[in-house]
Amino acid sequence: MNTNLKISNVTKIYPGCVANDNISLEFNSGKIYALLGENGAGKSTLVKILSGVIIPDEGKIYLNENNLKLNSPLDAKKNDIGMVFQHFNLFETLSVFENLIIDSDEQRESVREKIDAIMKKYNFSIDLDIPVLNLSAGQKQKVEIIRCLIRSPKVLIMDEPTSVLTEQETSELFLSLKKFSDEGILIIYITHKLKEVMQLCDEVAVMRRGKLVSVSEIKNENIESLANKMVGQNLKTIKKKKAKTSSDQLIKITNLNFTSEDPFETNLMDINFSVNRGECLGIAGISGNGQSELFQVLSGEIISEKNSIEFNNNYIGDLSPQERREYLMAFSPEDRLEQAAIPQMKIFENVALNNFKSSNFFNNGLINENKIKEHSKKIISDFNVNTDNIELKSQFLSGGNLQKLIIGRELITSPDLLICFNPTWGLDVGAINYIHETLIKINEQNKSIILISTDTDELLKLSDKISVIHKGKLSKIMNSEEVTSEKLGILMGGAN
Amino acid sequence: MIIDINFIGLIIASIMASAVPLILASCGELITERSGVLNLGVEGMMIIGAISGFALMTVTGSLIIAIFGAMLAGVLISTIFAFLTQTLITNHVATGLALTIFGIGISAMIGKNFVGIPGKEFPVLFEGLKDTIPLLGPILFGHSIVFYFAFALPFITSYFLKKTKIGLIVRAIGDSPESASNQGINVRLVRYACILYGGAMSGLAGAYLSMIYTPQWIENMTGGRGWIALALVVFSTWNPIKILIGAMIFGGLTIIQFHMQAIGVRIPVQFLTALPYIVTIIVLVVISRDSRKIRLSTPSSLGKSFHKDN
Repeated sequence: MNTNLKISNVTKIYPGCVANDNISLEFNSGKIYALLGENGAGKSTLVKILSGVIIPDEGKIYLNENNLKLNSPLDAKKNDIGMVFQHFNLFETLSVFENLIIDSDEQRESVREKIDAIMKKYNFSIDLDIPVLNLSAGQKQKVEIIRCLIRSPKVLIMDEPTSVLTEQETSELFLSLKKFSDEGILIIYITHKLKEVMQLCDEVAVMRRGKLVSVSEIKNENIESLANKMVGQNLKTIKKKKAKTSSDQLIKITNLNFTSEDPFETNLMDINFSVNRGECLGIAGISGNGQSELFQVLSGEIISEKNSIEFNNNYIGDLSPQERREYLMAFSPEDRLEQAAIPQMKIFENVALNNFKSSNFFNNGLINENKIKEHSKKIISDFNVNTDNIELKSQFLSGGNLQKLIIGRELITSPDLLICFNPTWGLDVGAINYIHETLIKINEQNKSIILISTDTDELLKLSDKISVIHKGKLSKIMNSEEVTSEKLGILMGGAN
Repeated sequence: MIIDINFIGLIIASIMASAVPLILASCGELITERSGVLNLGVEGMMIIGAISGFALMTVTGSLIIAIFGAMLAGVLISTIFAFLTQTLITNHVATGLALTIFGIGISAMIGKNFVGIPGKEFPVLFEGLKDTIPLLGPILFGHSIVFYFAFALPFITSYFLKKTKIGLIVRAIGDSPESASNQGINVRLVRYACILYGGAMSGLAGAYLSMIYTPQWIENMTGGRGWIALALVVFSTWNPIKILIGAMIFGGLTIIQFHMQAIGVRIPVQFLTALPYIVTIIVLVVISRDSRKIRLSTPSSLGKSFHKDN
């Protein structure tokens, strides 16, 4: 049967931001629809309205001409709308099977039969009786998909599903989605990745700043036209000039190991690499393969053996982050609001947290506020942070501005090495471009970078050398010219 | 020297009796904590249960009204906690501590008129069977209904959590209230229910103390048992069966140290009194030291407020 889903004049307003501004869209089964837009464009709000998680201020949803009242996720489920969230909605400590039966009213045995049938049909293979935290991201996503399929949905919404997947897992997912579509399930695919839209979808709706910008068929679009619609301006492309290769070694990691007692963490096994001055080493991998642990070991949040890290001819493996900073290392962690900055503190207070001895922020234990404020203003103007109020609490900065502030705070002391972890995660294209330019500039000044990132395109753009981390082990270090994203994808999946 | 085998049975039975309030309160708190709510008010809820039970028994003369009244009193006082932490989103720790202080204070106030009044005898079951089997007779028979309920409770709780749908939902909420809410589960409602259940069990534990174990009202008669119950939940790593073990060790050492004091063993009294607390925690830490299992059974959202925003 044909399924028709209609969104009519939907508006959702948050204090200070119109997340959805009078959106109207229509979908029909048999096609795969893309909802394209940058982070913060309002795509997630719109699909959360469709799945009953958010209640719109105005507007109506129709499924096959019936006006749906979606006041809770339960209503969406009852009306055969299934959604796979960007951040998995799984219970990590429960078993896969328990995760799947939690919203079902049927007998355990009959659900198990149903699950087995679904897994057989779509070639999924997952052990149902182990806790979810033991699964890879791709498997977790399959669990989410199975959870939707159990209810044989008419509509399946996928919110940024590939952000945690390898290339191989992504193409597997696309095959499954096409199968679902052929079986009559209406698929709405939310993403900001243009390539995927071109590869998978039939029609595309573009959103920008809460507004619907365009609806068109894929065959009438190309990557450039979609990019311009998404960003609203013509994008300049950044390219890194090939750095002159120096052989002046800055940091050397030898036989570094880290064993965690926490089952949620990944052990690091026998990490060896070195970075020369003026070089950018990229570390690729699917999130959760030890990147976070590696970053913490490099930054000193986790202490390792003294001799395992040699920086500028000093052994620093047992030093704290503060002590490492004094050797001119700088760090930009992944989680901007949890690790890099304290959300409730003002901008200039956050700047002061990164306290170098040379900076004289403190006199005899007292805070030298004027000095810090002066310093903060310099960062804000040098690094293009879009605010002039340094008394603002950091949580009110946009992701892009906060990241610029953090990078600025780290760079203003001109460190020899910057270690960053997903520096452009969740940022809009303008901010991404700015951060990329800044990182290229660092290399041009003969300073080094270790860039841990899950964004393959970013790594290929910025790195001189690339290695892949998989289950806590590093692959061999490759020159970035020899590497393609396909090759990285294979290594990220664990093949040799 | 001949030791009467029935005497050993009696000692074991008295150990079990002293474990009863701990088992009841811990199993109640375990359900509360499994849903992600940390209620530090167990001591307060217990003592409210103790005075309510004793007062109702004295005033109405009905044991049934007294027992259920004590549970209801536990429910009522935990409703305050539930309203504050779930509806007004206050901090669990501070609210729980306030609840204990409140409970101790108000029980002393109500209890003033009940000091020195003798309690009633609570009927025991299977009294006649006590002498039929040596050793096991005194252990198995001749106890109150609450006693039997308490020793069944850890197994019921374990079955509830592992095998029933609601048990699964409780564990899911403890793992991730956000995900549960996105799955359409009413997090607040389930947490309210778990808090009130914990209150009822604490109330029953208190009533057991004032009506059955030592049938009289003494101010502050719970004597820190609520805190031990809380510790048992954590150190048992949220496992009802281990709670049973911990409560038995604690009860056992409490009874044995009384006997040692009576015999006149030359160990400082203070040390003997402290012994049950120390040993119980050491034993539970040792039997629960698998960090992986701890991680899997600890409710990840424990003590964190959940606020659904639209």
